[in-house]
Formats: sequence, structure tokens, C-alpha cells
Amino acid sequence: MSVFVQPGFWIFVISMAGIYGIFALGLQIQYGVGGILNFGHVGMMALSSYTMAILVITLGWNFWVAAFCGVVVAGLGGAFLGLTTLRLSGDYFSIVSIAFSEIVRYVIFNSDGLTGGTQGSLNIPTKVQSDYPNSTYMGTWEPFITWVKDALVRVFGEIADRDMAMALIVWATLGLLLLLISRLEKTAWARVLRSTREDDDVPSALGKNVFQFRLQAVIIGSVIAGIAGIFWALQFSLLSPEDFLTIVTFYGWMILILAGAPKVKGIAIAAIFFGFLYGGTRFFTFFPFSLLDASQRSYLRVMIIGIVLIALMLGRPQGLFGKRQEMVLE
Amino acid sequence: MNNSTLPNNSILKVEDAKIHFGGVKAVDGASISVEKGSITSMIGPNGAGKTTLFNLISGAIKADSGKVVFEGEEIQKLHPHQIAHRGMIRTFQGAKVIKRLSVLDNVMLGGQNNPGEELFGFFRPRARTKFEEDARSRAIDLLEQVGIDRFADEYAGILSGGQRKLLDLARSLMAEPKMLLLDEPFAGVNPTLVEKLITVINKLRKEHQLTFLLVEHDLETVMNISDKVIVLAQGKVIADGLPGSIYENDLVIDAYLGSRKKT
Repeated sequence: MSVFVQPGFWIFVISMAGIYGIFALGLQIQYGVGGILNFGHVGMMALSSYTMAILVITLGWNFWVAAFCGVVVAGLGGAFLGLTTLRLSGDYFSIVSIAFSEIVRYVIFNSDGLTGGTQGSLNIPTKVQSDYPNSTYMGTWEPFITWVKDALVRVFGEIADRDMAMALIVWATLGLLLLLISRLEKTAWARVLRSTREDDDVPSALGKNVFQFRLQAVIIGSVIAGIAGIFWALQFSLLSPEDFLTIVTFYGWMILILAGAPKVKGIAIAAIFFGFLYGGTRFFTFFPFSLLDASQRSYLRVMIIGIVLIALMLGRPQGLFGKRQEMVLE
Repeated sequence: MNNSTLPNNSILKVEDAKIHFGGVKAVDGASISVEKGSITSMIGPNGAGKTTLFNLISGAIKADSGKVVFEGEEIQKLHPHQIAHRGMIRTFQGAKVIKRLSVLDNVMLGGQNNPGEELFGFFRPRARTKFEEDARSRAIDLLEQVGIDRFADEYAGILSGGQRKLLDLARSLMAEPKMLLLDEPFAGVNPTLVEKLITVINKLRKEHQLTFLLVEHDLETVMNISDKVIVLAQGKVIADGLPGSIYENDLVIDAYLGSRKKT
């Protein structure tokens, strides 16, 4: 298959992997450090990308300002979820968090006049004149990515393209966030958060407001999901409610489990691994997979990811980079 | 100091506390008072309401009625972390440690007002690092004092039961408390370690004027170190006084040491 050897496709996959990596990093601070099982993470991504799209398309805001607002709204979404439900103990929070992301998705789905409903961002109503078709939020972003692309062309020659520029921007952001979060995870703040993952009583008895630490972790994670949401919107140039199904949250979880939840450094490699599994399965056109048709084959990736996770749990339950010792302490 | 009739020097008072779980009156109108700088022990048979009262004092559960006064301030409505902030630190039955943190990190968790624990402390690396370094050396010091410093970098989860008690104590001391609540500190601990704990407690009280409130099962254990013993039975205080006087109290003998009389 020709796409197999086309670098363009794989660069697209690398960008996607980076976006998923950023997304999973938001879960890492919540679960890997704080032990908070958030299954509604995709809701924050939806909030930020749709906020950005609506602000740009409907109100004609500058992309950068709108993107910032989108990330803030994701953080507020996290604060709302946390304030209302974080007092529930472990499992109950997880259940409510799924409901939260589904509510976000259904609201987007049904608010035609605001979000474009089922037709997605193409149908977001516009009230402003702009040089770009009124269905896109790419306005101020295009010149920026073109500028990055031109810079790449000067270094790598004609081989560099827009996708490569995108991959570079995404991975630079992921790298920066990994650095920031790994720093954060060495602070006394993270020590307290880490203690709350095992127990509420001990940190409380030592004067720590456990709820506050958990809330902060959820907000930070949501802001990071918000950043992923902006890149998601840019990667596809259009949005639809179907982009934000709960399965996306679980893809984030897969990366986290692959990486080994308590360690931040595995995220990047696990994201690449996931990206290639995710993108690669569509090329399984050889026997015995050739017996399946294309739409059936697209489910293969989910099955393969599942099998890989099961194999991982059997052979290396701590993930690629986790510490086994942490799992066997009693 | 040993005289329990001197109320003006009390650091902690519980007044007419009532707590019930469903139909069970776990604490039924208990009033106690703990003198500043004293070692006070609360004893009673299983189900007497000791731990419930203890949880009430530390804020883990709320009373249906009654007051808890710590240093002149009513604290019965405060959260556990707020009470801890005011200088009253508790330990747990069986000693709870954070298993997946190192022993040293467990102790450092006890530190109060650490700027690094605030999210915005992230942007003040100098203040954060300075505090952290000081805290670390103090934590190592405390681990040396209780004699488990050789485990500093190990996961706390590998410690034995007795070592966990020592860690719990060191961690509580890290908070520089005014008063320590120890929940069954001697239960399941070998005699050598009991002696060690008692030495540490006495030393702390002498050097730092720390106040102790202990919960224990039986009188024997706390007899020698307590200034005052409070006996609980069925949610009520049935006796309160010098350890020696408790032995002669008929109510106590009936409710609690009954088996002793028969033998």
C-alpha cells in the first residue's frame, strides 16, 4: 500500500500521538500522582476546542486569545467537576466524571445554534466578516504554521511541509509540559498529593486539606486536556461531537497504563507506541486480516491495543517505566 | 500538675459530648479535661467509645452535641486538617504510613506551612528549596531520634509494624505539635520498643512541654507514665484521676476490671 511508505501519513500519526500524549499527561498528574480516577477527561478537551472555535468563528476573536480562553474554560470545567463531585470517594467520582463528559458532548450535540450540532464546527453560525471561509477557526493559526513550515523548509528543504510543522509544534509543547510536570512532581505539593492517593486520614491529620490538593490536581489535568483540545481542533481543521466520545478518554488511559502511571517520563514513548498501533492497524491488509473488510479492520486497532494491554498486565504490570516495587507493598 | 481538679491549666476540654451511630450511643455525655504538659490516658474496654471520642477530638467525626475546646477555642466544627494546623496532631491505631512514599518523605509530610506545598510555591523555587532543605535535615534528625534513620530512603511499606509506629511518631513530631493524640501506641509492640516509646514520650514532654493524650486498652500499660487516667465505659466517663486511685474505684472494678476481682 502506497500510504505505508508515505512519510506524510506517519507525520500525521506522530502529531496525533503527541496530542494524545499531552492528553494523557493530564491524566498522569491526576491518577499517577493523585490516584484520582477521572474517566471524563475528554470532556475538558471538548470544552476547550469548542470554546476556541465558537469564539473565533462566531465572534471573530483572535485565535490565540480564543485558544487561551478555551484552555481556561477547560480548567473551569475541571474546577466545576471537582467542586461538585470530588468529595465522593474514589469509584463514585469516576462514574460521575464519565457522566460529565457525556453531558458536555450531548449539550454540544444538541445546541445547533451555538456549536453547529451534529454537523460540527462547519455549521457554527458566524456574525463577522473574515478572509477565511466562515466555517473555520484556522484564521490566525494558518499564518503561524506557515511561518513555522517556511522555517523548516529553510533547514530541511522542500521535504518539510505543514504536517511536519504541526508535529514539531505539538511535540515541542509536549516536551515543555513534560518538563514542567516532572518538575512539579518533585515538589512538596506533589508529595502531599501522592500521599492522598493512598489515604485521606493521614494527610488530613497532618494538616493537609486533601480536597484542595485533589481539586488542584484535577484543574491542572483539565488545563492540560484543554491544551490537547486546541491541538485536536487544529489537527483536523474541523470539530464534531463524535470526536469526543468516552473512548478517547480511554485511549488516554491506555497511554498512561503503557507508560506506567506514576512515572511521567514514559508518556512520550507510550504515546508514540500508541500512535503507531492506532495508525498502523489500517495497513493490516495481508492475510489473515485480508479476510476482513476495511470497516472491520478499523476495529482491529482497538482489539490489538486491548491485547497489548493484557499482555502488559501479565508480564509487566507496572507499565513500561513504572516501579514494580510500588505495586507489591502492603 | 498531677491534680485533675485544677481546671484552669487545661489545654483540651471535651464538654458533654454525645455521638450516636444509628441507635448506638457510642459517646453518651462524656466530659474530659487534659492538663497542659501532662500525659493523660484514656482507657476502657472494647466498645467503650475511646476511639470515637478520639476521632471527635481530632475532627474525624462530628458530635451530635457537646463541645471540644482546644486552647480556649471551640474546635468541634473544624475539619481534621484545621485542627492539625492548630497544633494538635494524632496518630492512628496500628500506625498508618504512606506505603508508597519513602520513610523520609513520610516524615516530611508532617512539616507545616511548607511553601512548596502551595501550588504557587512552584514559582518561588528559592523559598521552596530553602524550606525543603531545612525540613529534610530536621526529618533525618527525627528519624535518628526514633532509631529508624537507616530506612530513610526505603518505601515506608517495607517497615514492620513496630517501625511504622516509630515512623508515625516521628512524622507527628515533624509537625511541631502542642499536643499529641496517640491511639493505642503500645498495642502489639514488643516490651523493648514500649520502653523506647515511653522514653521518647517522657523526653518530649520534659523538653518541649508537649501534652499527650493516649488511648489504651488496659490500665497496666499506661499506669507508670500517666499523670491522669480517664476510664470510659459505654460512652460515659466512669472514673477520672491519678492512676493509683483508679484501681480502688468500684465502678471501674465492676465495669472494666471485674475479672480481676474474681481472681
